[in-house]
Amino acid sequence: MTSDDLSYEEARAELARVVERLESGGGTLEESLALWERGEKLAEICQRWLDGARARLDAARPSS
Amino acid sequence: MDRRQVTRASAAERDVLTNARRRWPAVEFRVINVAVQGPGAVSQIIEALGTLDADPDTDLIIVARGGGSVEDLLPFSDEALCRAVFACRTPVISAIGHETDTPLIDFVADVRASTPTDAAKRAVPDLAEELSLIAAARNRLDRAIVNRLDREQQRLDALRSRPVLAQPTTMLDTHATQVAGLRDRAGRNLGHRVDRAGSDLLHTLARLRGLSPLATLERGYAVVQRRTDGAVLRDPAETAIDDDLRVRLALGELAARVIAS
Repeated sequence: MTSDDLSYEEARAELARVVERLESGGGTLEESLALWERGEKLAEICQRWLDGARARLDAARPSS
Repeated sequence: MDRRQVTRASAAERDVLTNARRRWPAVEFRVINVAVQGPGAVSQIIEALGTLDADPDTDLIIVARGGGSVEDLLPFSDEALCRAVFACRTPVISAIGHETDTPLIDFVADVRASTPTDAAKRAVPDLAEELSLIAAARNRLDRAIVNRLDREQQRLDALRSRPVLAQPTTMLDTHATQVAGLRDRAGRNLGHRVDRAGSDLLHTLARLRGLSPLATLERGYAVVQRRTDGAVLRDPAETAIDDDLRVRLALGELAARVIAS
């Protein structure tokens, strides 16, 4: 699965799962770090998606 | 393109055109002027209706005439005219005379307008009103999507602000604390053991010193041993006359011999 193919909803849902797993603790430190890195990446994807949506909105709006 | 048709000039024509254009500037009219009273009126009106109905660019036909006496308005109650209006495939608005006039054409037309001005109102929508409706719809559209995006942003922010993501070092902190704690415990444990060993040693040394006969000898006591085997003597019966003895004193020893028991 390449991260950039995720839809916003998929990325957000996975991000929520990652946070939950991190919060529940458990797993090795290495696993936790990998999870955290994944979470950061997913958050980035979500943010990029939202920023893109806003840019499209601004572009489509009549300049006012 | 909107195209509305009028079949009579004059004040009625002006009322229709002016009011319709005020409401919808892009409206297009094709005006056919006909006699609206007298013997030729009916046939002229029927012919004009036919022309307009056959014109594919015509969306709507308005039959308009200003006020007049009941006799003047008689052509608009003519059976042939009414049938011609009924036969039209194009919608027809009748606008004859004043509000109180009710020529029969009003009952056949698709819409009865009370006056030519009223016909104009019914023929075209009001541009300003339409624009404000569109603006309002656009506004709601815009707000809806912006609200949605804001809500999603909040959800994302909420996830990102959770400590596990916002302060990932806390993840290391707990491990670091554990390591430090263990290290501390190990250090303290070792320290205790060293301390304990030290005090054990002192204790043992004190006991050792307590056991040493030196202190006793210094108080004036002596230890007597049989020379031959070094046995420490406690009972005179352990010796015989002439046995060689060693007498240990605090500061040295001397040789002695049993001369009596």
